[in-house]
Amino acid sequence: MGAQPLLKVENLVKHFVVKLGAFGEKGATVYAVDDVSFDIMTGETLSLVGESGCGKSTTGFTLLNLQRATAGKVIFEGENIVALDEKRMRPYRRALQIVFQDPYSTLNPRMTVGEVVGEPILFHKLATKAELPERIARLLADVGLPSRFAQRYPHELSGGQRQRVAIARALACQPKFIVCDEAISALDVSVQAQIINLLLDLQQKYGLTYLFIAHDLAVVRHISDRVGVMYLGRLAELATREQLFSNPLHPYTKALLSAVPEADPELEQTRRRQILTGDVPSPLAPPAGCRFHTRCPIAMDQCRSVVPEWREVVPGHHVACHAVAESVPG
Amino acid sequence: MAPANLTAFVDEDPPVSLWRDAWHRLFRNKLAVAGLVIVIFLALVAMFGPWLTPYDFLTQNLEVRNQAPSLAHLFGTDDLGRDVLSRVIYGTRTAFVVAIVVTTVAVAIGVALGAIAGYYGGLLDRTIMWFTDMTMSVPNLLLVVVINASLKTPVTAWMEAQYQATLNPFYRQTVWVDFLLVFGSMALISWPPYARLVRAQVLSIRGRPYVTAARALGLTNRLIIMRYIVPNAVGPLIVSVSAGLGTAMVLESAFSFLGVGVNPPTPSWGNMISDGLRVWQHYPHLLAAPAAVLGLATVAFSFLGDGLNDALNPRGSK
Repeated sequence: MGAQPLLKVENLVKHFVVKLGAFGEKGATVYAVDDVSFDIMTGETLSLVGESGCGKSTTGFTLLNLQRATAGKVIFEGENIVALDEKRMRPYRRALQIVFQDPYSTLNPRMTVGEVVGEPILFHKLATKAELPERIARLLADVGLPSRFAQRYPHELSGGQRQRVAIARALACQPKFIVCDEAISALDVSVQAQIINLLLDLQQKYGLTYLFIAHDLAVVRHISDRVGVMYLGRLAELATREQLFSNPLHPYTKALLSAVPEADPELEQTRRRQILTGDVPSPLAPPAGCRFHTRCPIAMDQCRSVVPEWREVVPGHHVACHAVAESVPG
Repeated sequence: MAPANLTAFVDEDPPVSLWRDAWHRLFRNKLAVAGLVIVIFLALVAMFGPWLTPYDFLTQNLEVRNQAPSLAHLFGTDDLGRDVLSRVIYGTRTAFVVAIVVTTVAVAIGVALGAIAGYYGGLLDRTIMWFTDMTMSVPNLLLVVVINASLKTPVTAWMEAQYQATLNPFYRQTVWVDFLLVFGSMALISWPPYARLVRAQVLSIRGRPYVTAARALGLTNRLIIMRYIVPNAVGPLIVSVSAGLGTAMVLESAFSFLGVGVNPPTPSWGNMISDGLRVWQHYPHLLAAPAAVLGLATVAFSFLGDGLNDALNPRGSK
């Protein structure tokens, strides 16, 4: 890549305080995102993968300042956006957009497609009222929908069509960066492929940067430039797609990759699955030291007490594991 | 990259908004339409009452006391020779005025408190909901009886004193004291369900992805409330208001029946039923006429409410 970072995420932390007990007398903290740092390069697709509840969606929400960060910084255009209040955040909102997982609740059921797509254009004064119908038609064409869909309501559309409208709404702001929060997970496989290709086409056309939050490793492998693996609120490993899929370093990444079926039946025969025992510990009480040590096949004493450092072992390949040597031959 | 097949299966019907869709569903529901027709009919009767009554509702004619229904008096006459039909029509006015005013006040209080509690949360939410629960925990009847028993005498005395001082005939209209106390106490006990409903609606809508998307677009809180939260929250509120109007009518009748609501000689279905009950074995029409109209109104509002519920929340039904 060699590109400039568009967003710099520095030691981002998001804790939720929950009240337990009949009168909410006991407070507990959910360690949803804990000390996560990474850069997102201009024009790239960075994927975040991990099990449900590992904090990948929370990372996406927090770095867009849709949830207030507990600590840490997100630097965008020289400004730490997670420290901004709603009013000062507004100018940055246009550039940073999000597409959600569930196509059925992502659109306001009382607004037509045209209103949904036109609203941000008028709000941010990106076009005059007279230009609006033409703008809406162009955006709908961009996402592969005919312009007469502008008159329709969300409940008249299929899941894939709604997701296209949600993408058009994000595009209407002329953004630089889009978080795709499991944007395809709720769709049929055939529709998934269409939406992925649409997202890739739009990236080419408008020079978009994506943070792609997903759990389907086959899809991630297809679309990503770089991939980050999260476990229980922390990043375990972050590398280019080639590095991560051919040379995974973290034992959790290895286990995760071994669970992907091979398309080739002969390779599938020889695929060795590494099955993790036990469940993911509760994010209410994450284990000390390395968060993965309770399930790690190669855990050492050190892992139980010392948090592994987040370091770059090979250029572009970050990992947080005590068992990985200082420098690994690429 | 627009795939051709994507456009092929789209039918060319005109697009339907959820509101129009709900109207269609409501009109397909025969019971709801019947309810709506009865409600509109009763509302028209209430509105044009003075022009519809064959006799004055207060004029006593002791020569025609306790007559059974006849062509001259369609619902018969009562023990003072007053025309029962005219009194039932005026009772309809009472019922509608009470129901509309009480429901309006209760909805205004409930929506304001519920929306504030749901949107802002935290301490404000807890305080408001504590107040709501406390109000709900007081038995309705007890509260109304206490208010009417303790406030009626001083308010009436105060008005009499004002009359003596100013000789303004306005202060002689004690009917308004009745209405004020009935409206006031009923509104005071009727708002908590609306507050709870609106709070729950706001809470659930506030967390939906389309609201988060609106925030991600940078829209202001005011726009989000006006375009996203309110239009999606009013459906259940409409259902609840329709049912609430019927409930308010029953409540007014119940209080009047017990003598703590609208007092004679102002006609109310409740005090007519109360009067008729004493002599029902001899003059059943005195009980039957107001009771039947009250029953009709209640059933009509309940059918309409059910129909609206099915029409506005189609996923919940069947």
